[in-house]
Amino acid sequence: MADPKMRILVVDDFSTMRRIVRNLLKELGFANVDEAEDGAIALQKLQAGGFEFVVTDWNMPNMDGLQLLQAVRAAPALSHLPVLMITAEAKKENIIAAAQAGASGYIVKPFTAATLSEKLQKIFDKMGG
Amino acid sequence: MSDANPLGDSAELEALFDSIAVSAAKPAPPPPAAEKKSSLMSQTRESEDLTEDSQDLQALFDSIAGKDKTPRPAGGPGEAAGAEWPGQKKIFTQIGQMARQLRDTLATSGYDKLIEKTVSAIPDARDRLAYVANLTEQAACKVLNATDVANPLQDELETGAALLAAKWDALYANAMGVDDFKLLAGETRAFLKNAVPQRTAATKEQLLEIMMAQDFQDLTGQVIKKIVAFAQGLETQLMSLLIETIPVEKRTESVESLLNGPVINADGRSDVVVSQQQVDDLLDSLGF
Repeated sequence: MADPKMRILVVDDFSTMRRIVRNLLKELGFANVDEAEDGAIALQKLQAGGFEFVVTDWNMPNMDGLQLLQAVRAAPALSHLPVLMITAEAKKENIIAAAQAGASGYIVKPFTAATLSEKLQKIFDKMGG
Repeated sequence: MSDANPLGDSAELEALFDSIAVSAAKPAPPPPAAEKKSSLMSQTRESEDLTEDSQDLQALFDSIAGKDKTPRPAGGPGEAAGAEWPGQKKIFTQIGQMARQLRDTLATSGYDKLIEKTVSAIPDARDRLAYVANLTEQAACKVLNATDVANPLQDELETGAALLAAKWDALYANAMGVDDFKLLAGETRAFLKNAVPQRTAATKEQLLEIMMAQDFQDLTGQVIKKIVAFAQGLETQLMSLLIETIPVEKRTESVESLLNGPVINADGRSDVVVSQQQVDDLLDSLGF
């Protein structure tokens, strides 16, 4: 299992959703969580360093989740970061676009705690292996 | 649509259209430009009276058209501009045609009144939706706050019970003296009499809070039903208006976008997924 002290950035423009994801992560043992309300703020925080995992929404103002993902993958210092997308966008082309852009996982809203746990575990397994 | 159009507005629009079509064809004489219009246009074109308004408009258009041409490298007025942009005349003709058709249809079918009514209902619908957003956000916050309060209470019960259980296990394993047993009996009594009821009562309070936070559903349900009815009316009106005015070949494909939000109705759609399982299957099939 991954390091429970791992610093995670939760990116969503709705504070309620950020809070829910933060609570779920806490339940799963990850208490070191920071939040950003759009891609642009998230990228700033990521560039400042210290984060090991990103959980992001897609549809957000200023910079959306896909743009954030692309920016992360394009930045040498950040490109290794796992990025898990949790989004209401459910078109197949969305999922394909996210996968092609290098998303580590894709969860469609509404989602369950079990789904989040499973996807996180899958990403950690890949990182470890 | 008869030749003698009773509507003043339409005459003005017609004059505007004529002036645009004529100017676009400049410096050629007006008739050829007008001749290219559809049969519908020529039907209603009979009243050729150029009002003062339309002459003003003509002058305005000329001045704009003139300005527009000067900075271009080709320089020469009229002809040069026409050569630069061959579709210009056609576009002006079409826009004029569409504007007039729309105006005529609106007026003759009474849609102008309907649309006026609908447009005035939009701010109301906007306010109602803002109200829904506000109430649902409040509810979400209340519920999250309640779980924040209740979770530690459950944790305390859990740890308290585990502690006592371990001690009772020790007693059953004959690893406890009489004094320790007396102490354990007292601790257990206190836990059952005070610690547990206090925390269950406090948790119940939070559960009640969560339940009461759902009261938004009644209010938002009513508001949303009204907006749905309004949107249906708007859709019906706009659809019939469009069907009457837009030729089949003008209909375009819906814009492809990656920002669509949640899928409200996936029935009969093959371009969306409806479950996490389908997301996983799709990604697996692509080798991700």
